[in-house]
Amino acid sequence: MTEIFLPRSLEGLWDIQDGYPEAAVYAGGTDLLVRLRSGLEKPSCLVCLERIEALKGVHESAQEIVIGAATTHSQILESPVIKQHFPILTKGVSVLGSPPIRHMGTIGGNIVTASPAGDSLPPLYVLEAEVEIRLKNSSRRAALADFILGPGEVDLKGGEILTKILLKRSPRWTIHHYEKVGRRKAQACAVASMAALLQVSQTGRIERARLAWGSVGPTVVISREVEEKLVGQPMSLEIFKSVSDVVKKAVSPIDDIRAGAEYRRTVAAALVQRLAEYGPWP
Amino acid sequence: MEIDAPTDRRVVDLLREDLLLTGTKESCGAGDCGACTILVDGETRLSCLMLAAQLEGRDILTIEGLSRDGALHPVQNAFVEHGAVQCGFCTPGMALASVDLLNRNPDPTREEIRDALAGNLCRCTGYQKIVDSVEIAAVALRSKAGS
Amino acid sequence: MKDQDQLAEYTSARSAPPVRNRPLAIGVAVVRSDAHEKVTGQTKYAADYYSRNMLWAGVKRAGVPHARLQGIETDRAAQVPGVVRILTHKDISGPNRQGVIRKDQPVLVDDKVRHCGDAVALVIAETKTSLRNALDLIALDLAPLPAVTNAEQALEKDSPLVHEDNAEGNVLLKGDLKIGAGQEAEKECDVVLEACFETPRQEHAYLETEAGWACVDEDGKLSIVCSTQTPFRDRMELAEALGLDSSRIRIIAPYLGGAFGGKDGVTVQSLLALAAMNSGGRPVKMWWDREESFLSGTKRHCARMYYRLGAKSDGSLHLLEVRLYLDTGPYDHLGGVVLALALEHAGGPYRIPNAVLKGWAVYTNNPIGGAFRGFGVPQVTAAMEQMIDMLAAKLEMDPLEIRLKNAVKRGAKNCVGKTLVSSTGAVECLETLSKHQLWKGREAWKSAAGQFKHRGVGIASVMQASGYGPVVPDVANAKIELTTAGRIRVYCGVVDMGQGNAGTNLQIAGSILGQDSCNMELILPDTDLTLPSGSASASRCTYTFANALIGAAEILKERILQRSADMLMARGAEELALVPGGVRRLTDGRELSLEFLAQFLNDSERVVTYRFRAPIAPDHVTLDEGLRLHGMPHTLFSYGAHLAWIEIDELTGQVDVKRYLAVSDCGKVINPETYEQQIHGGIAHGLGLALSEDFEAVDGKIMTPDLMTYIIPTASDLPKIDSVPVEIYEPTGPFGLKGVGEIATNGPLPAIANAVADALGIRVFRFPLTPERILEALKNKRQET
Repeated sequence: MTEIFLPRSLEGLWDIQDGYPEAAVYAGGTDLLVRLRSGLEKPSCLVCLERIEALKGVHESAQEIVIGAATTHSQILESPVIKQHFPILTKGVSVLGSPPIRHMGTIGGNIVTASPAGDSLPPLYVLEAEVEIRLKNSSRRAALADFILGPGEVDLKGGEILTKILLKRSPRWTIHHYEKVGRRKAQACAVASMAALLQVSQTGRIERARLAWGSVGPTVVISREVEEKLVGQPMSLEIFKSVSDVVKKAVSPIDDIRAGAEYRRTVAAALVQRLAEYGPWP
Repeated sequence: MEIDAPTDRRVVDLLREDLLLTGTKESCGAGDCGACTILVDGETRLSCLMLAAQLEGRDILTIEGLSRDGALHPVQNAFVEHGAVQCGFCTPGMALASVDLLNRNPDPTREEIRDALAGNLCRCTGYQKIVDSVEIAAVALRSKAGS
Repeated sequence: MKDQDQLAEYTSARSAPPVRNRPLAIGVAVVRSDAHEKVTGQTKYAADYYSRNMLWAGVKRAGVPHARLQGIETDRAAQVPGVVRILTHKDISGPNRQGVIRKDQPVLVDDKVRHCGDAVALVIAETKTSLRNALDLIALDLAPLPAVTNAEQALEKDSPLVHEDNAEGNVLLKGDLKIGAGQEAEKECDVVLEACFETPRQEHAYLETEAGWACVDEDGKLSIVCSTQTPFRDRMELAEALGLDSSRIRIIAPYLGGAFGGKDGVTVQSLLALAAMNSGGRPVKMWWDREESFLSGTKRHCARMYYRLGAKSDGSLHLLEVRLYLDTGPYDHLGGVVLALALEHAGGPYRIPNAVLKGWAVYTNNPIGGAFRGFGVPQVTAAMEQMIDMLAAKLEMDPLEIRLKNAVKRGAKNCVGKTLVSSTGAVECLETLSKHQLWKGREAWKSAAGQFKHRGVGIASVMQASGYGPVVPDVANAKIELTTAGRIRVYCGVVDMGQGNAGTNLQIAGSILGQDSCNMELILPDTDLTLPSGSASASRCTYTFANALIGAAEILKERILQRSADMLMARGAEELALVPGGVRRLTDGRELSLEFLAQFLNDSERVVTYRFRAPIAPDHVTLDEGLRLHGMPHTLFSYGAHLAWIEIDELTGQVDVKRYLAVSDCGKVINPETYEQQIHGGIAHGLGLALSEDFEAVDGKIMTPDLMTYIIPTASDLPKIDSVPVEIYEPTGPFGLKGVGEIATNGPLPAIANAVADALGIRVFRFPLTPERILEALKNKRQET
């Protein structure tokens, strides 16, 4: 029998880790328990984080909004704070998995699993999210973009736990856009996805832009070159088409059972054109 | 209710094999199909991806508990009356997912119903009569609430 | 409680007591009798059978597509705590070969592995965990052989052979038909078009995977509860394979959690029998998990189809040439029947005076091709209905007009030269479609497409034969009983896999006997209790069984009334009527309850049996005995006309089906609700196959091993479906009915492909029509212009 621990507090968690340093940690279980079933991992014991209140909830401070890592996706969907300040995250999470998966899966789990197709990730990248990582006696912060190292790989050293996701309050964006392309409309692994935050002037000129693509590289893809080319330009289909080659060079998709690399590359560039649907301006 | 079970027992196995509550089904074991759906503290979860330890202190509802004193829940009644049941293997999970939806959103559009049930695969019905049934159940529940 | 007692409890005259009493009449959407028990989780599927003292059985599978078996190392596995026995082919005393038509599949491999899912060793263990651990420790000594993975290449002279003892090389069955002048007619054609179409392998993906429970009692009788479409045939098949006496085998088929053809034949039955015979008298359960079901179960044949269609300039079809290659995998599994049906439907519901129809069901080391709703017809319809649209475009004719012009009518000959003597509603379905708002409003809808969207509308004319053809008897034996409690008990012969035929049987018997639902009960198929009635397949479940049931119910009715007349000293049965719960003498209203009456009938009088055999076609369209055995030709066809509204996104290539219409001629409708359920379900399978389902195998290995990689439609993916029945009375059918189970699956592939062509001016010849293929075709078109 595999021992399962269900600590009620971070202190309880540290105690368990002292006794069982090789314990595998999970919150919702929607990734880890599937991996256990396929025999990809065989931990001697498991620690479930779902009862630790300190890891849950959406909290506001003066500078930033803090999301506990064990907050479920449906809790994020229901959060008026997130909806008000970061609707792009609400959109990303709304197409993640399926309703029961969203009741169980957590934002921390989505980050730590670090699938190139994780739906919360492109929104978190354009929001320039940071994460807090804790050990029993120390904590550190890192940019999410630095924390995720590769497919399935994050910068967590032995015993470290992801505890918080921190989002800075930033000046209002005009457009909060997320599109996920899958082989079906729901419960699908993204084949390509794009998050975009645009600040647009009254006359339809792009003043700021942040874009991020999912499922088209080992991690989420950002391109400062694309963003710079868009700034100062009007919101028009021609402009969005004009960055197509830059996008295609920025992404590095692979062939897999869901789609080929060429298709993903083409779609990654095409998704920028979708931004032309916003407007009219003024 | 108190149960003695190994902490790492999957909840779907605990329900089906230990408690002989076979209404909750297993169809994929990996969270892809929704057949193992139960309600935990009122919201849907996949029992194939839950371990017994996680049940501690929780309120669990399986399909067997949805009807009260032989009276069907309006969702079940609508499923029966409006052709939502064919082979029936997806039905327990589908019914509980519908109950969860209507608890959150008492007046859903057909598109919202479809999206709420997208985690429950059905291979027999093409979903349309299930959506019809949930619409009808929503009306029944709203008028019950009103009266 | 002993396990046999538990079995008895599970299988005794079972229907959950009906909660609501409903009148039973033909043509009414009577609520299905199984709905209540299913919606409350009470129904026990084969997968739900557990008993004390039970063992688990599981299979070690080959994992490679083609190899010589040199050894099986089980010592380490036998040491796992909880392992009871490990069995191999050495433990089988019979021929160790099973199959419906050709017995070519081993229960446990003895010579060669012929596909990755081949069963090599059988483990019996106390728990699922010990089972899994033991299976992991079994080592197979396999000498790899070159794998045959392409149907056309498998026919080449130097191809490796899947079955060395097969005189036809890698051919399971082939067909070669010449109708009219054959190829000679080409010179009379004004236009000839040709194209090659490919349809993928499709996985049934029923929610209840293959499952069963088995036990040998003290008298040596083997009882198996199994999720199967064919309990009676299974009994013979497994008895022959294992060298057993079939009369000592009982197979029970409860409600199935879906089947669609994937449980048409042996899945777990032989393995369970073997396990139960070696378990020391303890019951054994086997339940394939999803990955094992994907690996080992049968699939829809993938097909490569070369079509050549010749016509006159006025649009009349003149010549059809077809070459069909069906990849049947390593074992028969009805692959020949699929080929024969595909050939028979290759030309669709049209009059084509000249044809050359060739086809091959080819052995390979790919996943097993077997029965799947439609049985070869979705594949050829996907091709033919596109050829028709291509011809219409070439001749600048309206696609509906060209279909109407060539459609078969009763008395015409179809493309294999069979005279259509039964009801033939091809024209009526097309005409009904032409009057529907979805057809009339199509141009206005298409012109309203938004940014980046392209809208198209496509149609298809479909048909589907029912029954087994001219040789294999399509027979049902109904049994009905007036119980001592005064209830009417129907012994259902054909398995209810979700299509609701059990409830329909009660509806039919109840309406004839004047009873409401609360006075009806049923026994589900059980080789000890019910009578042989054929498979739950071939769109014949209700047609054949209900015809037998009507015969039995009429006799029972007469018998009840005559005995009542004698008891009441009435002039005759004409003075009496059956009413809910009793018989009433109409002259003065005096009533006798059925319970009372039952006492005055001897046990032998309370039970009626009746046999019905479906009519067969006397037409000699072919002298090929192989094709005739495999079903050619059939005599009864259902028809349909389908229409799809689609919207394509030019940025992603995704196809969104917005609306779908199916007009169907399946005779008279006995229950409009269950009828519509079949139409919706068939369309769902077709749409999945058209857009996202592709059970890929590369070098014999499965690339889509689970429900995350094999994409079936969710509730968010399917459109609103409109179903319009065209109720042409079929005189040979029960109350005028024809089969409805399969036909709807045939429309979506061509309707969507034709809609894509309409929307974008491109034609994609390979299914599924993935976004990737759409964008590729768009790109090619842009490069050409």
